[in-house]
Amino acid sequence: MSAVTATISEDKMGTARARPAMRDEGARLGFRLTLPAQLLVLFISAFPLLMQLYISVTDWSPLSGVGWWSAWEMWNSFANYTDLAADTRFWSALQRTAVVMLVCVPAEFLLGLALATLFADDFPGKRIFYSILLMPMMVVPAVAGYMFFMLFQSGGPVNDILSTITGTRVTIAWLSDPTLALIAVMVADIWQWTPLMFLILLAGLVGVPEDQIKAATLLGANPWQRFVTIVLPKMKTIIIIALAIRVIENFKIFDTLYIMTGGGPGVATETISVYIYKVTTQDLIWGYVAAIALAILIVLSIVAVYAMKRMAKTREMPA
Amino acid sequence: MSAIHLQNLVKKFGDFTALKTMDLEIADGEFMALLGPSGCGKSTTMNMIAGMEEPTGGKILFGERDMAGVPMGRRGVGFVFQNYAIFTHMTVRQNLAYGPKMRGAAKAEIDRRVGAIAEMLQLSPLLDRKADRLSVNILQRVAIGRSAIMEPAIFLLDEPLSNVDAAFRAVMRTELKQLQRQFRQTMVYVTHDQLEAMTMADRIAVMDHGVLQQVGTPLEVYNNPANVFVARFIGAPGMNLLKGRPAESDRGLVIDLGPLGVTPPLPEMLAPAVRAVRGEVLYGFRPEQVALAERGLSMPVTFVERIGARTIVHLGEGESAVKAVFENDIGLSIGQTAIVAPPASSVRVFDATTGLAMKAG
Repeated sequence: MSAVTATISEDKMGTARARPAMRDEGARLGFRLTLPAQLLVLFISAFPLLMQLYISVTDWSPLSGVGWWSAWEMWNSFANYTDLAADTRFWSALQRTAVVMLVCVPAEFLLGLALATLFADDFPGKRIFYSILLMPMMVVPAVAGYMFFMLFQSGGPVNDILSTITGTRVTIAWLSDPTLALIAVMVADIWQWTPLMFLILLAGLVGVPEDQIKAATLLGANPWQRFVTIVLPKMKTIIIIALAIRVIENFKIFDTLYIMTGGGPGVATETISVYIYKVTTQDLIWGYVAAIALAILIVLSIVAVYAMKRMAKTREMPA
Repeated sequence: MSAIHLQNLVKKFGDFTALKTMDLEIADGEFMALLGPSGCGKSTTMNMIAGMEEPTGGKILFGERDMAGVPMGRRGVGFVFQNYAIFTHMTVRQNLAYGPKMRGAAKAEIDRRVGAIAEMLQLSPLLDRKADRLSVNILQRVAIGRSAIMEPAIFLLDEPLSNVDAAFRAVMRTELKQLQRQFRQTMVYVTHDQLEAMTMADRIAVMDHGVLQQVGTPLEVYNNPANVFVARFIGAPGMNLLKGRPAESDRGLVIDLGPLGVTPPLPEMLAPAVRAVRGEVLYGFRPEQVALAERGLSMPVTFVERIGARTIVHLGEGESAVKAVFENDIGLSIGQTAIVAPPASSVRVFDATTGLAMKAG
């Protein structure tokens, strides 16, 4: 027993003593080595950001007749931001985006997790099903948009299938009904992005140590208990990554949706990206666009920072 | 507590036979070591006892109960994995409490049992430590505690010391043996390290290529190996085996070793069995029992290993190579000729064709 306590205290002292000096020197060397890359990243990300911030407080647009660097001449004392706060179309687009996200991401997550659980075990034809499952992810989003545009026509295959099932002639005008159009758009997103979720979660699931699962089984845990107490906690980091990727991507949902509905009928499927696109290309008020984009960047950054913090938490260990 | 009976146990993986008809009785409360080189079927046997794998044929009984079709969670076996399989995302306390919690024990009951087991294994001060930063011997105790808290009738240990560095192994061997005395459970211990098997086990089952070679106490297996495999496998270095033919002499039955000459006469008890052999035999004796003598086998010294307390002297070459272990340093050097003679009582003779030991009549 004395050997046990000896190693613990030795270990503690060893690390405690070595740490400060090594950290200092390592940090300095690391800083010097990464400096060129840091500068590059700083330029790539900070420059556009500052430019955006600059334009967002002006009335500048490409038609103003002056270069963007002279935009200060058109300073409008934060009018873009006050307009934004009062822009109901912006707020409803933001709300709609949130609704799409809150439906699509959980649906993709649950479907992906179910599929991953299924694919963690062997079954005949697994490789073929695996390849088929990954295909939607590889379809160009614009093509997927056209595909679902066709599928959801009132004389399209979706209605045909529904007709066969119900036995009556179904002619739902999916894409012209405000609610149904939103549903159709979400179905397309779930179809296209569940495979990514599946792929990431499968990687996480395969990484769960098999002997810990066996140990839990031997201790009497049933499959559900094993899933909750061993598998999910072990997959925590990868689940957070998968959710963060999809939340951020889904927030920017654009191409498939724009081709299917163009944001319509009316503004029924107008998400934040579609709104920005319209303001940029139709209204041409770029100062305002910059203000919207900055607001969204802040929202997404909060999500990303939160996810990173959660991840750091799962990795940090009490000494 | 429970005895384990393996009856005609067979395991095949496709065309590969991992275990050929194994019969083994493990008594209640016994510490049985399954010993053999890798791929001998020892882990397969253990996994079948635990219920992780279904036997292809034969029966496993715990006491009177047939285990066929009983899932591993219901067998009441504790299993300590090679790498301990500690739940690293939990604390020591959560690891220990896992079994009772999954079976729906009351909170107070769980606390009481965790407290008791932690006390016994001297884990109490570590209960709230995260399990992924513990040293390996603490991990071992957590793994044992986590199984022991279920009070299993049978404890299975799968090479628990193979990931441990040599210095710690001795400490942990002692610890394990003490734990077994505390728990008094039937223990099955899989290992390829004969030192572990010899020091801890009540009996050893030596296995090779899916066949059970011999079952016996450590000393039985060491002194009276049942066949050539066991003779060579047990002991470091293994038993010396020299090929020869039985021959009569005026002093009694001897073995004619060809160029090495003839051996001293065999003990009377072995003579009848050896006389019955048609063909070649193997003349076996332990390196530790070799003594320098006036008369005996005269062989050139080819190599001398000095390892402090012991000196291993290599004699002869090829088929007739022999090793001799002496307690202290010995005045032999390469090129010299040594005359060695094993004491008659320590000589074992094997049939060269079947590999089986000749029984004393």
